[in-house]
Amino acid sequence: MENAVKIRTENLCFSYNGRTILRNASIDFAEREISAIVGPSGSGKSTLLMTLNRLWETIPRCTLRGRVEMKVDGRYYDIYEKSYPVTRLRRQVGMVFQIPNPLPMSIYKNVAFPLQLKGGLAKETVSARVEECLRKARLWDEVHYRLHSTALDLSGGQQQRLCIARALILRPEVLLLDEPTSALDHATARAIEELLLELKQSCTILLVSHYLDQVTRIADTIIELHNGTLVRRGGRT
Amino acid sequence: MKRANEQAVEGFFVLSAYFSALLTVALFGFMLVLGLPLFAEGRIFSIMAQPWAPHLGQFGIQPMIVGTLAISLLSMLFAFPLSLGCAVLISVVSKGKVSWLLRKTVEMMTGIPTVIYGFVGIFLLVPLVREFFAAGSGMCVLSASLMLTLLVSPTMILFFCESFARVPDSYGKAALAVGGTEVQKFLHVTLPNSWPGVVIGFTLALGRALGDTLIALMIAGNAVQTPGSLLDSARTLTSHIALVFAADYESPEFKAIFACGIFLYLFTTFLMMAVRLLGVGRERWAR
Repeated sequence: MENAVKIRTENLCFSYNGRTILRNASIDFAEREISAIVGPSGSGKSTLLMTLNRLWETIPRCTLRGRVEMKVDGRYYDIYEKSYPVTRLRRQVGMVFQIPNPLPMSIYKNVAFPLQLKGGLAKETVSARVEECLRKARLWDEVHYRLHSTALDLSGGQQQRLCIARALILRPEVLLLDEPTSALDHATARAIEELLLELKQSCTILLVSHYLDQVTRIADTIIELHNGTLVRRGGRT
Repeated sequence: MKRANEQAVEGFFVLSAYFSALLTVALFGFMLVLGLPLFAEGRIFSIMAQPWAPHLGQFGIQPMIVGTLAISLLSMLFAFPLSLGCAVLISVVSKGKVSWLLRKTVEMMTGIPTVIYGFVGIFLLVPLVREFFAAGSGMCVLSASLMLTLLVSPTMILFFCESFARVPDSYGKAALAVGGTEVQKFLHVTLPNSWPGVVIGFTLALGRALGDTLIALMIAGNAVQTPGSLLDSARTLTSHIALVFAADYESPEFKAIFACGIFLYLFTTFLMMAVRLLGVGRERWAR
């Protein structure tokens, strides 16, 4: 049985500095699946991700037309509606970038950072959630004895897993991953793939990847973009 | 192996660095040598604590030390929040042309000669303060501090803007991507990570406020007294040096100005060292 649609884009057009990046992209992303977005460089893969958490709004000279709907509590909401706060959206839609971007603070503070911004949780609850997410990201065993040392001393792979843990701490319903393994060695990349397969039980995952072998290993659905348009959609076979 | 021209350039830079360091030490040595009579007589510390009363044979600089600290610290009290606010306005709140225009205005302000600020102070600010408070001549600690605020703020604003701009974009993106607002991004990411620059900007501005002569000379009133209120006239160390320097070279007044120089030098040096320690601590953490 096919999973319900979690995110739906309709006639999405995006341009940056007058250059069109997405052209009438209408794509459905199924719930609790890994949807891999593939295509040549410049086809609009990363841009598509940024339209789903509205992160493009921080970049000047960008325009967007079209509609993006997300299913929350059994109902579809237009995420660009004024009544839908962007901060709420970004807490529901986590994002991990191609280059790991830990903040210059301790490992613990990095993971707890989203909760610190959100506020309203007791210290003990935050500590428990930090441990839970570091375990989920398979980093706990490597860092539990040095949680209060700087995150900038971690290796590239550890930093990326830290960023995944940071994205997970808000228990997002959707996780956007923009080539999360491209800067990592083979073994670390495989560890992250296994992690994603576990995470899809509770989370809808959209993964931009250049590696076809990776996509065929873990993706349930493959979405191919070309020149900002959906050209093919199918299963991993 | 390094090429000859690379070695020459490197040698030039090393020499320049040594020369700058030597110059700084030489300046202090020069003041020590000229202030030697004060040290020999063991009067250096009593001069710093005594009032200025030539008719009693006392040439202490205590009123000038208090005047200097009052005017410069008060101006920093006004200037720091003002500059931080302006820097946030330029770097965070306003976008595009508005930000550019504000920045250019501030850059232009850094190039205005101090004497122009002094004139504006005398003909605009002093009468305003005199009218508003209806006390004294208007040439007082408050007027000098307000004018110094205008003088030192542009440098601080530009320093703060540069410090904010040096915070990597990826940090800000990380904050926004987890649901942070622009304000949270600034408070939790931009400001803490631009801290060393903010501190250095503050110190440079304080150094300028401490060392500025013309504003205090033109606006503070130059009375040799320990100011008891913001509306009292005061004389700063630099004004005192400028005023006494024009007097008799052999007089005890003249000798006392080296105590002013030594105090200013030591105070500024300790301030810079404190800031270095603060800055280094922060950088180590951010590594």
